This record gives sequence, structure tokens and C-alpha cells, in this order.
Amino acid sequence: MELLSWGAIITQILIQFIPVWIALFLTFTVSIMFKRKLGLYGKLFDSPIGMVGYALVMFWVFTAIFADLIMTHDPLAQISSMKNKVPGTPVSGADEGIFEHYLLGGDALARDVFSRMVKGSQIVVTIAPFATLFAFMVGITLGLPAGYFGGKFDTVLSFLANLILAFPVILLFYLLVTPEIVATGLPTYMAMVLFLFPIIFLVILFNSRFFTQPQKRNIMVAAIVGVGGWLYLSLISQSNTPVNFMGALDGFDVAGGILIVFVSVVFVNSPTVFRIVRGLALDIQTRDYVAAAQTRGEGPWYIMLWEILPNARGPLIVDFCLRIGYTTILLGTLGFFGLGLPPESPDWGTTINAGRRLLSAFPHPAIVPAVALVTLVLGLNLLADGLREESLRD
Amino acid sequence: MAKWDYDGPILEIDQLSISFFTRLREIPAVMDFSCVVQPGEAMGLVGESGCGKSTVALGVMQDLGVNGRIVGGSIKFKGRDLNEMSQEELRDIRGSEIAMIYQEPMASLNPAMKIGKQLMEVPMIHEGVSEKEAYDRALEVVTDVKLPDPKRMLDSFPHQLSGGQQQRIVIAMALMSKPSLLILDEPTTALDVTVEAAVVELVKDLGKKYGTSMLFISHNLGLVLETCDRICVMYSGEAVETGSIADVFDNMRHPYTQALFRSIPLPGADKNARPLKAIPGNFPLPHERPPGCNFGPRCDYFEGGRCDAGDIKMSEVPGDDRHGSRCLKWTEIDWDAPMVVTDAKEKAKPGDVVLKMDNLKKYYEVAANAMFGGGGKKVVKANETLSFEARESETLAIVGESGCGKSTFAKVLMGLETATDGSITMLNQGIESIPIQERSTDTVKNVQMVFQNPFDTLNPSMTVGSQIMRALEIFGVGDTVDARRQRMLELLDLVKLPRAFADRMPRQLSGGQKQRVGIARAFAGDAKIVVADEPVSALDVSVQAAVTDLLMEIQREHKTTLLFISHDLSIVRYLSDRVMVMYLGHVVEMGSTDQVFAPPYHPYTEALLSAVPIADTSVEKEHIVLEGDIPSAMNPPSGCPFQTRCRWKSEVPGGLCEKEVPPVRHLAEGHQVKCHLADDILARMNPVIKVAAE
Repeated sequence: MELLSWGAIITQILIQFIPVWIALFLTFTVSIMFKRKLGLYGKLFDSPIGMVGYALVMFWVFTAIFADLIMTHDPLAQISSMKNKVPGTPVSGADEGIFEHYLLGGDALARDVFSRMVKGSQIVVTIAPFATLFAFMVGITLGLPAGYFGGKFDTVLSFLANLILAFPVILLFYLLVTPEIVATGLPTYMAMVLFLFPIIFLVILFNSRFFTQPQKRNIMVAAIVGVGGWLYLSLISQSNTPVNFMGALDGFDVAGGILIVFVSVVFVNSPTVFRIVRGLALDIQTRDYVAAAQTRGEGPWYIMLWEILPNARGPLIVDFCLRIGYTTILLGTLGFFGLGLPPESPDWGTTINAGRRLLSAFPHPAIVPAVALVTLVLGLNLLADGLREESLRD
Repeated sequence: MAKWDYDGPILEIDQLSISFFTRLREIPAVMDFSCVVQPGEAMGLVGESGCGKSTVALGVMQDLGVNGRIVGGSIKFKGRDLNEMSQEELRDIRGSEIAMIYQEPMASLNPAMKIGKQLMEVPMIHEGVSEKEAYDRALEVVTDVKLPDPKRMLDSFPHQLSGGQQQRIVIAMALMSKPSLLILDEPTTALDVTVEAAVVELVKDLGKKYGTSMLFISHNLGLVLETCDRICVMYSGEAVETGSIADVFDNMRHPYTQALFRSIPLPGADKNARPLKAIPGNFPLPHERPPGCNFGPRCDYFEGGRCDAGDIKMSEVPGDDRHGSRCLKWTEIDWDAPMVVTDAKEKAKPGDVVLKMDNLKKYYEVAANAMFGGGGKKVVKANETLSFEARESETLAIVGESGCGKSTFAKVLMGLETATDGSITMLNQGIESIPIQERSTDTVKNVQMVFQNPFDTLNPSMTVGSQIMRALEIFGVGDTVDARRQRMLELLDLVKLPRAFADRMPRQLSGGQKQRVGIARAFAGDAKIVVADEPVSALDVSVQAAVTDLLMEIQREHKTTLLFISHDLSIVRYLSDRVMVMYLGHVVEMGSTDQVFAPPYHPYTEALLSAVPIADTSVEKEHIVLEGDIPSAMNPPSGCPFQTRCRWKSEVPGGLCEKEVPPVRHLAEGHQVKCHLADDILARMNPVIKVAAE
């Protein structure tokens, strides 16, 4: 068994990614075939920049979906002879029947860098969009009334948003993950508040639209409160924390580290979203269709959520893409500082940090996740650019 | 190098074709366009939006953007072909030899630079003159455009000036380097009528003084009549008729020009006896133009197999001065035949009083310091002692320029604001202090509104049908979704839109169609009172007539009271029964349409009447130009609100105008005026508009 050449390594990696290539190919073929019927999403395929960005993003999304097919080794398994080995090193001294090479070498703890990178994409691709989505719900629920009503309410909320934005982000994270603070339950209490917003958002959304048809409204609101409430209670009720009341009804526990990361990311992102939404609401509320809704006696929440919000979607979608990228970087930063996620976690930030110590001697354990992070964020930024460009065109 | 001498025409455009290239297809914007502008001549370019008139202007400036390209023909400026010039040479010419004035004055000025600096840049760049000389020139030009206190003007930023003043500065900037050709692209559309009249007057005078040739682009035929020597009517990318003003206005030789004139409310048109004649159909989209004559499908004289056979060339009308028409049949049409009056309608009888306002006042308190709420409070009097009655199936027009308080009045009536004092009685119910949230569904659906801007009136993210259905839902019409859907389709029938439109998005509709949907939405709950806030002013001329007619027809059927807010006196004269003229929150004159449009006038009404351009060569207007701008409502003048601009002020003894707000005086049955002028002076007033004997 000998060392693989770079050509052979690249070929082997491309082969490992076959499920991703197939999925990408299918997505693009179908999308381009129907691009005239798909609205803004279809228009994306007219912009080369947008297509490249979309391809990069979808590459990582599919990688996360098919991670188990792509990985060559268990991302946590250590094969002692493989410590700090260069890319392409054949595996020796292990059981029969496993993959024969460490394609991108081994890290300081003799784990496969390639598999860890692939597994890490799962963590990044799930947390970042969800955290961003939650941040948007919080930002929208507060930003719309602030812009629409203005006055004291707006002044107070804007001041709070500025206060949070003025606080150094990293310091805030350090505070939130300090064991003493976690023990007081502060992050869990924050989760209680922040995760309440999506439910409030959805209830208001449907109530304002369907209050004229009480029956339909009642069913919808009941469903949202039921399902959302259970999810919410399960989420915030954690064993081994001060907030633990669900007992047997508790649907699931989220790993403590992830919850804290989630909370911090939502907390830091929502003020910016708040300000964007507030600005858009201020602009759109001067339109005649808002006046028309007012003159037929619509309630303020209907106007905000059904007249203003849908017409603010263009800038919001673009910002959403950019913000996922920003959140990804934030996650990397958190991992790099060893905050939140456990040290053996394969997420990219943590692995970059782990590889940093021996960077001059063995650069590959840090470079591989770094490149992965760069390509995903670049893809998201290009996608946002493409969307912005296409949404502005006729 | 910039200037060279040339004796021939300033601008010769020969068979110009311009196309825009999108990712789907090539869109021809201008086809086979020819025109000649002689030195000192003013050429008017008229047409509806999308007809390519602005594209011609941009073509002359060689500024078509990345998608546009000149695909044929030549543009010769003083004998030199602009198409063949290098970027360097073009830069040299733009701003010094050819200057352009755009529609929106605020967008044409750099908000971060002082006026003086922006003006001085022009000669400093193009002629390399010294700063001192440039400053002197700027001062001279600013004085020329009749701005008060020129030195202070040069030292201020654009946002410190009013819209009218800004447009004057833009004109001054265009004149800084004494250009040979001035292109004006709808220069007064964003301005109020009385300000517009003053700006137009200025442009005319300056054109004479500097000997500048002008290319005046407008959709307003009346404005072109007042400013230009020659006119070119465009339709869907082609010039359809061109000639001198007198020839085209009095001896039109193209069916489109004729249809255009028949669709605008000229004096003499009457909603019952002689209604306007809308041009049927819609303006063709640039990539869906019919074969042959572009106007064919909407033309009364269309002849299949001939008009749609092939391209039609301009043909000369013999005897007239360079008068041409792009019509195959112009020699065969009887141009003197009177317009066929479709069906004269019975005048609707006003019924009972449905709306009564008594001494309505609306004041706003504005804190001088918004941040900390301290400091003195200012009171803005948006509406001052408004009293009137409106009857069933009556049209009451509310006329006034921006800032006169008509929008505030509408807000108070709709319940978006509550009145400070006074009462509003609608159907025997006082509603002055009930905000809209607390009004009953019945009250809300009885007063509805049609908005001004068709592109803003519909929610762009909802289908047309669901927007109307939402209104029905809120008004409690229909018990089931199916019942409401049925009612929605009926409403679409009512406004004469195809039922298939229910599933369309607003962006797929034209301006006029959107406005129809807005009307359907307003009538969703069978409204008794409809406030129409300039419902047609943003529409193209040919569509205006159709939408106006529709409103009148629905009104006739439903016996609706229509409160028609407008600044366009031609249309007000055409459709209203009574008129109320407002200025700075005061009702300065009110009476039946005949009373308001005939002397004695309130001095403001007189000026307003004179300011409105009328596209009829047989109309003689007395020329009254108001000085200055409308005062701010924050800081109204003492005494009579109009005294700062009134030309009759000297006729009132003792400076009474500056001391006291005039009382309301009843001149005749139902005719009231708020003015200090003595009866004998009012009686001396001459009619502003005189139709010459035919």
C-alpha cells in the first residue's frame, strides 16, 4: 500500500462525492427546464454569479444530506498510526474492510480529516439557517410594529437594539457560555423568550387573516398553539437545568452546547434584522394599498403581516442569504474559541482551532475545514448577489 | 472645440430606429423617426407613456444605457452625426451644446453640493473659465430664472428650496453654457399647476432671449400648445403626425391625433350632452405591435387587408408647412365630420343630503423638538372651518394644489384621523370623532376611496381577485367563499374587466386596468360616498376618458356621492356638479360648476383657471402668473391665506388682507367666496377663458 498522488486523491474525492454530483445535476436540470415558471428562483438561473453561488451552497447542503454515504471513516474513530499523516496516506494497523486511505490525511488525534469535514457540514448546514430563521422571526415580529406604529414603542425597541449591537459579540458569547452563567439558567431563560416569538408570529399571522371566518381561524390557531407549544416546551425544558418541568412529556433534549450557540446567534442577529424590517415598514406603509387597507378597516397586524411584509420580501430574502453566511462565520468563530460545542465536535470552527496548534508542521487539518467554510460563505454571498441583481431586473 | 458655427438646422433626425435588448428579445422602442429642429424653434414631442418620446431624447444625448442601441438612421446635430462621435467628443457636447432638463428636479441636483457650486461646475468644466467668472455667470443666470435673492440661492443646498425653485435651478444649470439645443423631458409634471404655469412662462421667455432651440417632451397637449412652434405626435414608437401647431391642432390628418383630441375634456365637453370619447382598446406592448399601422386595431377608420398589409411611411400633406401624417387613408377620411355622440345621458337629479360637514377643523400639533418633546409647540392648521353638504348622486369636486388640505380632509372623512373641531354628519350619524377602528362595518363600507397612483393602489403580492375578495370579506358581503367569489366576478364585470383577470397579479395589468380594480374594490360594499383622490391624473390621456366614464356610469347606477379631488380644472369642469376650491386649508370659493367657472371669481380661482393649459387653439386665456410658491402650512401668512400671491390685493383698502381672514360671503344662491374684494370690483372681473366664436 503506497501513498496516493495528488491526482489520485482528487479523483478519489470526486468519486466519493458522486451522490452530491447526481443531486446537483438533477436540481439544475429541473430548475433550468422550468425556470420561466419559478419566479425569482427561476430568474436566478439567468445570472452566472447566482448560479455559481447556488451551486456552492447546494453542494454543501447535499453533502450534509448524503454525509453518511460520502464519509470514508467514522469522524470520531482514531487509528493510532495515522496521527498527523499527510493526505493520501494508506491506513495501516486497522481492521480489515474499511476504506484504505486517509484521503486528506489525519489530524493530531489520528482521525480522518476528510470525514470530519463532511460530517461538520451537517452541523453547519442545520444550525446556521435555523438560527437565522429564528432571528428573522424575532426581528420581524418586533420590527414591523416598531416601523408601523412608531412613537415611544419604536424609540424603546430601537434603543434596545442599538444597545445589543453596541455590545462586543465575542464578549457576549463568553458570558453566555461561562459555566457559572449557564448554571444560573440565563441562556435557558433567554431561549424561553426568544423561542416564543415564532409562535406569536404564526398566531398573529393567521388570526389577522382569518378572523372574519372564526371557525377556520380557531382550527388554525389551535393547531399552531398545540404543535408549536409542545415543540416550544420540549425545547426549553432541559434535563439537568433549572428549567425542567416536562418530565415524561418532554419530546426531546437539545444538546446543551447547541442550544446555547443557537440562543446567542439568534440574540446577536435579531437586532440587525429588526432594523432592516423597521426601515422597510417605514417605507412601505406610505403606499396607497396600505391606505386602502386602512380605509376598509383592517387591523394593524393584518396590514403589517399581509400588506407590508410580503412586499418587503425581496430585500429580506437577500439579507437572509447573507445572514446565513454571517451566521456560519459566527459558528466558526464560536467553535474556534472553543465556545458552546464540545471539543470533539467535527464542526469546522472547532476543527480549525484544533488544527491551529500544529499549523506550521501539519497545515492540512486546519486548511481543509477552512476551505470548506470559505466556499460555503462565498456561495451564500454570491447567491445573495445573484438574487439581488435578478430581483432588481424587470 | 465645443462650439462650431453651422447655418443649417440645429437637429436633424433621419429615420432613427432605437431598440432595447433584453435577455428574451429585441424590443424596438423607436422606429423610423424623423424630425428637424430649426434654430430658435421649439419642437413638441407628444405621446402617451411608452410611445418612445423619452427614448428619442436619450438617443439624441447618446445615453441609452447598456441595453439600448441605435439600430438605424442618423442624428445630426449642427450637421455632425452624433452616432459617429467618440465618447470624448460627446462628453464635450453634452451640457455645453445640448442640455437636458428632467422630470424630477430633486433627482437632477446633487443633494450634497451647494447650488452655486453645481452651477459653476458647468462653465468651469466646459470652457475652463475662472472661478470668479463662473460665479458671476451663475449669479446672472439665477437672476434670469427669476429666483428671489440670487446670492442666497447660490449658497443653499437643494433641499432648502421648493420644488418649483429647484426646477428653476435645473433650468439655470442647463442654460449656464448657452446651449444650442435644450431638451426638456416632462419638466413640469412634478409641479403644481400654478407653479407649472410660471415655469412654462419662464422657459418660453428664456428660449426667446437666448435663441435656444427646444425639444419639449410632454404628454400634455395643452402645454405643448403654449410652448412650442411645431409638434410631433408619437404613437407606439412611431411619429404619426408632425407639423406646425396650428396645422396639427386645427387640421389634424391622423386618426390617432383626432382620437386623442376627442378624449380630452376641452371646454364644451359635457358629461351628459357631449361625453368624451375614449380610445377603445389598449396601448400595444412593444413586442406585440400589430402588423402595418400600429394604431390599426384601435382606429375607427381601420380597413382590413390594407391598413395591416405592410409598413406605412410618412406622407406629406400638401399645402401645409412640413405637415406629415403616417396614415394610408388620410385623403379619404372626412376630417370635418362631427363626432358621433354615442348616447346623451339624462342628468342625474341630486337627492337627499348624505354628507354634511359643519365648521370642520383639523389641527396638528408639531413639537419643535421631536427628540425630547420640549420646546414650543407649533400648530399646523390643515383644515380651517370647512362647511359643505353633498347630496346623493352628486359630484362635488375639491380643487386645490398640494398642501391645500384636501388629503387631510379625506383622512378625517375616512376616519384615519379625528377632527379637532366641528362635525361630520353622514346619513344622520355624527362620525367626526370616531376613528376607523371603532366605526361600524356599515359606516366603513359606505365611505370608500379611490387612490391616485395606479401603480401603488394594489398590493403587488396578491392576485386581483383575492384583493377584492378580501374587501368583501371585511365588509361582511357573502357568507361563503363561493358567494364572495361570485360577487367579485360581478364587480369585475361592473368595471368592465374580463373575469380572467381575477387570477392575475397586479404587475400584469396596465395602469388603467389597475385603476379599474381600485374602483371595483371601492364599490365592493356598495359605497354611498366615494372619495376619488385624483383617480385619473396618473393615467395616460387616452385611458383617462375611459376611467372617468366608468366612474360616472357606476355613479349614475348606484346613486353614489362622488367627492372628486383634483387639481385639473378641465376634468373638473367636465364632470362635476359643484366645485369647492381650497387654498391652505381654507375653502376660498364654492358654488355650482357654472358659477365657479364664470366671473366673479375668487382671485385664486382666477389664477388657477388661467394656469391650466388647454389644448384648443380657439381658446383665449387671460394670462395670470402667480409669483412665488405656496406658503408652508407650518407658517401661513397673516390674514387672508392667499394675500402673498394675490394680484388684486391693492384693490382692498387699508391692508385689510394682511390683517384679517376674510369672511365667507354669499354672492348668489349656493355661491360663496372668501375674499375682501368689494362687490363692484368682483363684478368688474373678466372671464379668464374665452372661446373664440367659431
